[in-house]
Amino acid sequence: MRKIGKLDWAFSGGRIPFESTGEEPEFNSHDKISVLNTSEEAAKIGIFIFYEDQAPVGNYEVEVEPKRLRKIRINDLIDPEAVALERNYGCYIRSNIPVVVQFSRMATGQQANGIMGSMAFPAD
Amino acid sequence: MEVFKNWSGSMSFKPGQIIALESEEQLCELVKKATSEGKKVRVAGAGHSSSPLVHTKDYLLSLKHFRGVEDPDLKTKRATVPAGMTVKEAGKDLYRYGLAMHNTGDVDVQTLAGAIGTGTHGTGKELPNLSAMLYGLRMINGKGEIVEINRENDPETMQALQVSMGSCGIFLKMRLQLEPAYQLYRKEYCVSFKDCMQNFEELKKNRNFDFYWYPRTDLCKIRIMNTDKEKMPHISYGSPELEREGPSHEILPRSRDLKFDEMEYVLPQEKAMECFYEVRKQVKEKWRRTVAWRLLIRTIKKDDALISPMSGRESVTISLHHNAGLRFWDYFKAIEPLFLKYGGRPHWGKKHTLKAGTLKELYPHWDRFQKIRKKFDPESTFLTPYMNELFNFEK
Repeated sequence: MRKIGKLDWAFSGGRIPFESTGEEPEFNSHDKISVLNTSEEAAKIGIFIFYEDQAPVGNYEVEVEPKRLRKIRINDLIDPEAVALERNYGCYIRSNIPVVVQFSRMATGQQANGIMGSMAFPAD
Repeated sequence: MEVFKNWSGSMSFKPGQIIALESEEQLCELVKKATSEGKKVRVAGAGHSSSPLVHTKDYLLSLKHFRGVEDPDLKTKRATVPAGMTVKEAGKDLYRYGLAMHNTGDVDVQTLAGAIGTGTHGTGKELPNLSAMLYGLRMINGKGEIVEINRENDPETMQALQVSMGSCGIFLKMRLQLEPAYQLYRKEYCVSFKDCMQNFEELKKNRNFDFYWYPRTDLCKIRIMNTDKEKMPHISYGSPELEREGPSHEILPRSRDLKFDEMEYVLPQEKAMECFYEVRKQVKEKWRRTVAWRLLIRTIKKDDALISPMSGRESVTISLHHNAGLRFWDYFKAIEPLFLKYGGRPHWGKKHTLKAGTLKELYPHWDRFQKIRKKFDPESTFLTPYMNELFNFEK
């Protein structure tokens, strides 16, 4: 299958809500990226988190298998350190092969849940 | 001066001298010299502990030349392990002779002597901590003399030496009570918190069982190990994550690339889960904003060592983790009072804030231990300022 997508992606509006309502883990408030790898080889993904008041943190290493989709909650990234909740951040995602990256946020701090999603910015 | 740094990097200091001597005679001479100079001696181990047990401005010893399993005896199931060997090295070497330790912790990079001396443990409600293997000892006391002792010729003293953090002497060789080498089967599953709690009593019946709780998802990972004598359970409510089998020394530990700091408390089993629920509540309400590391819950059989954290109590341990290099004390210090509220005793080799005044109240045989300790080390050669804070609250 054809490789589609880009090598470099970014988004700047990251902020994981702290409050959650409802059963966990389904209803944990979270930021998430969905990475689509249409190619025949594994995509080695590096994630870098940028903050307003400190140097970037990363590389968070993730692999997406050939011809697979992988959803990654930013909340769950701990290596090299946990991404703090309720703190503004931006994110740069690089891949060794073209992939498609979508960003989404679920905020369940109140019972009327909200979900938003957008494409990350294809930077290359 | 050379800097000594522990595994996580959270403790570093400059000892007066780091020395790796090659013979027992040289070690005896060094202890005599230190005692006559009023200096302190500590053994560095592998540097896995994150409490400052080995911190000294004077002599820090490495026993790296003391290796190689000796005198394996399949009939009595005993073998002698020199004090410079790591848990991993000992496990591998013992296996060659058809012997194995009854259990190890989740990591095997520590020296076995350090793991024994701090009451380090694995998991399994019928399995005591690693110090329970200690049948006999060859060590150097604070006068620089070689002492040999075992459970048959002096069981009461062995109860003191078993978990003593190098405060009575320098372990040279440990005669261990072992098991014939055995295969283990390991399975891990991701399960909901509710299912983990509902099945906790049943899961505890496995030879080895523990679970991680993940603060940011409220999910758990259960880990089960059995020999071929026990039946592996079918976990219908979990999604399989891992399945392995092999010799025990290869299956018990898991590799750890990511470094962390840790606080672990040992709780009486009847109060432990109530404590865990309270800890979980506080972590969810406050700490998961910055902390994503999982908590580990393990079960341990009681032992009779005088100051073992599991002494006289069937136990459950709860450990907190945070990435090495990040601020961990705010989190650990906020949770520690909950552990104490439920009668917790700290793991000697991990982070805690307790001093002698509090510790004494946690151990019924505290005074007996101190009396024996002084007999072996009358000039306090092994009592550094930190060790003194742990043991001598009146000073």
